[in-house]
Amino acid sequence: MLLSLAIWVQNLEFFAYLRGSSYTFPTILALHLCAISLFGAMIVATDLRLLGWAFRRSSIAAVVNQLRIPKRIGFLLAATCGFLLFCSKAEDYYYNIFFRIKISLFILVAVHALVFRASVYNKPAELDGPSGAPVRAKLAAGLSLCLWVSILCAGRAIGYVGVHAGEYRHFN
Amino acid sequence: MLIQNPISGQLVFPILECFHIAGFALSIGMTALVDFRLLGLGLRDETPAEIAGSGLWWVLGGLVVAVFSGFLIFSTDPDSYYLNWVFDVKMVCLVLAIVFNYTIHRKVVSPGASPAAGRWVAVASLALWLSVVFGGIFIASFQPPYK
Repeated sequence: MLLSLAIWVQNLEFFAYLRGSSYTFPTILALHLCAISLFGAMIVATDLRLLGWAFRRSSIAAVVNQLRIPKRIGFLLAATCGFLLFCSKAEDYYYNIFFRIKISLFILVAVHALVFRASVYNKPAELDGPSGAPVRAKLAAGLSLCLWVSILCAGRAIGYVGVHAGEYRHFN
Repeated sequence: MLIQNPISGQLVFPILECFHIAGFALSIGMTALVDFRLLGLGLRDETPAEIAGSGLWWVLGGLVVAVFSGFLIFSTDPDSYYLNWVFDVKMVCLVLAIVFNYTIHRKVVSPGASPAAGRWVAVASLALWLSVVFGGIFIASFQPPYK
């Protein structure tokens, strides 16, 4: 079912064009990486603040609250570009073990949000104290960093399996 | 050649790429936090100088990782990079971005600088760094046919 959906999607006119395009595909890939750079750093900045490793002169609440919306916009940008890239080669991605790992990691990100959003990210004012953030906030930050770095590595690895490495790298 | 070509199935190449991406994402993103602030977005309760000060070592660390891993990636196939004009463009943008970051950008971020100048510097900074990312991707789209 999923496979036939993947094949249907990648055979749509736009995605067939995207797959074969010399410049549009790499442009979207570059935008994907730009979005990752700009907004990945917002995740890192939030987590580093929770860990007390950066932005220590600002309160936790200030950093978390001010970056909440920009982070969401950034994620949406990166995800949109990623979705377009996926659709253009949906069948390959369906079989690709690292794509499956990457999607599983996104599910873990959702679990992370379910576990920590109520107690950490939505109550940043309660986390500010003389001795830094409580353990649960530092745990949330550490896990978040590990998850996103893993997603980055899994994303990069997608380009190395399935098709002949040399040929595939040309596009990825 | 320091490292084998990826086509021979070495794991080291994708691992280097992961370091490269993580490094530049960290340094470019931390710089962008300052640029967004100069444009009046993001961390508005902090001054540009505070954001830049907090990010200083993370920017430098990310840059060192990205440049070092990039040099190792280059060393897997130096002649193909040497013959690729997109690589030349990327290197020019990279040098410009680094010089800009540690001269004009640093000056505009310091307390008391003009906010109007800050906006233009922020746009220039973002454009320079993102052009380096585009250059990196497009290196693969312009393989020299005469290699």
